[in-house]
Amino acid sequence: MAAEAPRTAVTLMIDGRGITVPKGTTVYQAARSAGVDIPIFCYHDRMPPLGACRMCLVEVQKMSKLQTACTLEASEGMVVSTTSPAVRAAQESMLELLLINHPLDCPICDKGGECPLQDQAFRYGPGRSRFIEAKRDHAKPLSLGPVLALDRERCILCWRCVRFGEIIAGDDALKGFERGFASEVGTPRALPVESKFIGNTIAICPVGALTSRTYRFRARPWDIDPVASTCTYCGVGCSVWLDVRGGEILRTRAREEPEVNDAWLCDLGFFGHGYVAAGDRLTTPLVRREGRLQEASWDEALDLVAERLRASAERGPGRVAFLGGRRLSNEDASAAAGFFRDVVGTPHLDHRVDAPPDGASLGVSWGLRSSLEDLGRGDVFVLVGCDITEEYPVLWLRIKAAIDRGASLVIVHAKRLEIRRHARRELLDRHDRLAPLVAALAADETVASGERVHVLLGRLAMDGPDGPNLLRSADSLVRRVNGTLHIARGRGNDFGAQRFGLLPGEGGMAAPGILQGAAAGAFDLLYVAGSDPATAVTDGAAWESARSGVGFLVVHEAFLSETAQAADVVLPALVLPEKDGTVTNLEGRTLALRAAVKGPGQARADREIFDLLAARMGVVRGHDTATRIEPVARIEPAAAGAGASPSLIVVVADRLFTQGSMAGRCRGLIELAGTAHCLIHPADAARAGVTDLGLVEMVTEHASVVVQARVSDVTLPGQVLVHRGYDGVPVHALARWSPAPAGVEVRPVAPPGGETP
Amino acid sequence: MATEAAMPESVLLRWVRTEGMAEIEQYRRAGGYDAARRVATELTPDQVIEMVAASGLRGKGGAGFPTAQKWKFIPKAAPVKYVVVNGDEGEPGTFKDRTLIEGCPHLLVEGILIAAVTIGARKVYIYLRREFYRGRLLLDAAIAQARAAGFVGERIFGSDHAVEIVVHPGAGAYIAGEETALLESLEGRRAMPRQRPPFPAVAGLYQQPTLVQNVETLCHLPVIIGLGPERYKELGPPVLFSVSGAVVRPGVYEAPLGVTLRSLIFDHAGGMRPGRRFKAAFPGGVSSVFLTEADLDVKMDPDSLRQAGTMLGSAAVIVVDDSADMVEVMARAVEFYRDESCGKCTPCREGTAWIAQVFERILHGRGRSEDLALLEGIAGGMTGTCFCPLGESVPPGLVASLRLFRDEYERRIAAGATDGR
Repeated sequence: MAAEAPRTAVTLMIDGRGITVPKGTTVYQAARSAGVDIPIFCYHDRMPPLGACRMCLVEVQKMSKLQTACTLEASEGMVVSTTSPAVRAAQESMLELLLINHPLDCPICDKGGECPLQDQAFRYGPGRSRFIEAKRDHAKPLSLGPVLALDRERCILCWRCVRFGEIIAGDDALKGFERGFASEVGTPRALPVESKFIGNTIAICPVGALTSRTYRFRARPWDIDPVASTCTYCGVGCSVWLDVRGGEILRTRAREEPEVNDAWLCDLGFFGHGYVAAGDRLTTPLVRREGRLQEASWDEALDLVAERLRASAERGPGRVAFLGGRRLSNEDASAAAGFFRDVVGTPHLDHRVDAPPDGASLGVSWGLRSSLEDLGRGDVFVLVGCDITEEYPVLWLRIKAAIDRGASLVIVHAKRLEIRRHARRELLDRHDRLAPLVAALAADETVASGERVHVLLGRLAMDGPDGPNLLRSADSLVRRVNGTLHIARGRGNDFGAQRFGLLPGEGGMAAPGILQGAAAGAFDLLYVAGSDPATAVTDGAAWESARSGVGFLVVHEAFLSETAQAADVVLPALVLPEKDGTVTNLEGRTLALRAAVKGPGQARADREIFDLLAARMGVVRGHDTATRIEPVARIEPAAAGAGASPSLIVVVADRLFTQGSMAGRCRGLIELAGTAHCLIHPADAARAGVTDLGLVEMVTEHASVVVQARVSDVTLPGQVLVHRGYDGVPVHALARWSPAPAGVEVRPVAPPGGETP
Repeated sequence: MATEAAMPESVLLRWVRTEGMAEIEQYRRAGGYDAARRVATELTPDQVIEMVAASGLRGKGGAGFPTAQKWKFIPKAAPVKYVVVNGDEGEPGTFKDRTLIEGCPHLLVEGILIAAVTIGARKVYIYLRREFYRGRLLLDAAIAQARAAGFVGERIFGSDHAVEIVVHPGAGAYIAGEETALLESLEGRRAMPRQRPPFPAVAGLYQQPTLVQNVETLCHLPVIIGLGPERYKELGPPVLFSVSGAVVRPGVYEAPLGVTLRSLIFDHAGGMRPGRRFKAAFPGGVSSVFLTEADLDVKMDPDSLRQAGTMLGSAAVIVVDDSADMVEVMARAVEFYRDESCGKCTPCREGTAWIAQVFERILHGRGRSEDLALLEGIAGGMTGTCFCPLGESVPPGLVASLRLFRDEYERRIAAGATDGR
């Protein structure tokens, strides 16, 4: 120990061992780094210490009172005991005090077996209680929403869940109410709890106070096999544990991955596994005979598809097109791209099924232009048409952390985002008037003086009436401030599909062109995998006419989606949690998928289906031939203005919780999605005679849909927001692809049998 | 102020007890705002701090920290600093701050100005106990008058100093009297104490350097500047004692530091009620360990009281006579802490509630002989383990009562045992 320690390090003694740690380390962290266990409840290493539970008290020489190890900074020469009689007595006291009002219903508690309170009571507790009074009595459990239950009797008031909402998520979802002995956790506004991250509070609760309503009483920790995999919903690519028992995924948990999701997940990820075990999974191939889809063997179905592909080839090259990719793995995407390019011989393939022809989405490659970690080091964030908590929730946590370190947030949007209170500046205007706002940002002092400016251009901006202008404005803004422009576009494994070649080849058409070509009879066969174009294409009529214009439709699907219902052959596909392989997240990182469960019936991996087809067409495929295409960013000139702007326009927006084919089959998420609804500004509602929560008919020149109205100033005057992703509510039919904003009329619908005023 | 030699010997209470002192004209005629004007226009901050140091002024909120030293902790160069006035007077038996505010709000405003100018704070928040409804009206009016006179706002007293004062009513929590919990509440959060360090002087309100000062402490400042620190010291220095309980004339009394408990009760407060004997007194609010007859001649100053095993605290003397049952007295104190525990830390939240449950059982005739050891055990588990002084206040008094009045507990338990069956 003769060597002089650097000035940035301190050496202290813990239980007689010399430990050298960087200056600023707490005694708790120092002890942990040396393998010395100090019990904790309130401390969580992603949040600043609180010192509330008093479980980590240690004895420090020359300090008269016991000290909380979590709050005490280690200093040179400090002598600490974690096992002295005074410390032991304090640990026993704290556990006795925590247990006097705890119901000790461990045998029926979900947390049993993975419960810090249970573990520490065994290890540090007094063994018996002197408490003979009546325990605290609460109704139990309290439902705080579709996915969260609160048992206030089990709560030890460690404040972790409350502080998660304050510090990590920034949504203040849970708060402390009452005081002292009567303190309890609750929701600051009405029920249900308002959060997109509440699953994390269940994960960090050190007792069984916060439990998952979809997992309650379903398993014990020792019955479960955790499988390390990746969440495939939004494209952030959060690492997860899929907890499996008896061939079923019972629970999803965050798996720590500091470079991607740190220790967190959003609720779509937490509660989004139920669709895998849904009862209506497709289990056999279906072939259309006599106008009806009927069960068939794999051989029958594949022979038919191969025959049709060969017949098309005989008529000439390029008469087959492929759409999809979002729900494929990298390996599936690579196999699909190779199959259609090399075996079928067509350049017409595209994963960007939901992109309109006249927006900005088709001209640029999708995803971040830096790593998530680099993005998190930004000092200015500009979100342009990017509703980040609805689209990439866990990415928001990284930006929130940067804001807390001093970064600034600027929002440009057509709606008041829920994170607006964290913004330094909010620029709002109607959807068709956003471009000037971005142009004006160059004069914004914070943006101009930012050293690491990150602009995230989202789908609402790119696919809107002003998409190309917005892209150009955003591009020139980042050039001026030497920032980074991120294309916050794409979900699931769109990024893998893009990377492994599910994009138009030389002379190939993009997705809108494929649809238009199909309508015009340019294709004999349309092939769809990893997508549901019938609901995803933003021009409802475009899909309808494509389907009727094409002779033969082949679909890989897990469910009988709208697209599958219209198919000639439906091949049952495995879903991503059933496959080994990889996906690519929005920063381009390759992430592992592990098959957590077996697929139902005869369902097969997409990649295997393409291999079987290739073999039938006389080609045995390896998987190293995928053509890699790096799309070049190019900016198209803006489409010409389309005359007078309507007074009320419809804007279709993304929402985290929807009733799509996956989330719509997950308990909890269905309730979180609620019913399809539109948001209408109070001024427009008054003019149209629309009342909050009443049914309205939204009528455009193309179609009409009936949804619930929510009168809210989240949207702006002159603009009705409606969410996509509710199956059976074809909001995509409301508009046609057009650079002009779509006018809409909103009329109240009298409830059936209701009296006419 | 030194010109008003004809006034009674009291230097603080005379402002309160003189009619009309809520009006600025009256206050100025008596020499009011002269001290603040001198601080703003003539004296340097160092000179003011020197005078306050020489006066020996200590915080009157309970902790008794030397005021000048606290001021020196405020980083001089910090661009934004705050003064936060702790007017959340909640310690049971303490009512001196309310008396000052209601009697002479200008004295507090002047004290604030002296402190703010000296440390260089431009913004002052008065965190006022919500129940001080009348006090709030008087303070608001006094601040408006001072603003109209050019003493509050920009360029006060024609100097380059600017001081804004905002009155912020609390929401009725005892814990908000603890300075860091007060800051949390002022920032709009649940009043729960913060970890120290950092201390408010370094990172207080909105994480900026903040001087948190009790109402009475600030009211001493005009007196110290006006009389000069030497004269002020010769007067005792003066302290306001809130005397309540079983005495003939409960009230606020100004007496020199070091006055005996006996003198406070028998000379100032008119002695015990007729026919009653002194039994015990809390010298510094319920948070202090009570004194008994043997301690009547103890001097009421921090050092002497510490030697006697208790503390001066907020100088709130609660007198208990021989008609009181000490078990009931302690039960009331424990209920208070149970109700006022903020709930942040385990030992205070759970311990106060458990102790109150045991007391309730004893008072309802269901006490057990082992309960006294149990109470001592719970108190032991809370000692030195709580997050803040609130929880730490419970064990000393409880343990002292178990030691000094054990017979009263035992009688209760024995009577309960026979009553009950």
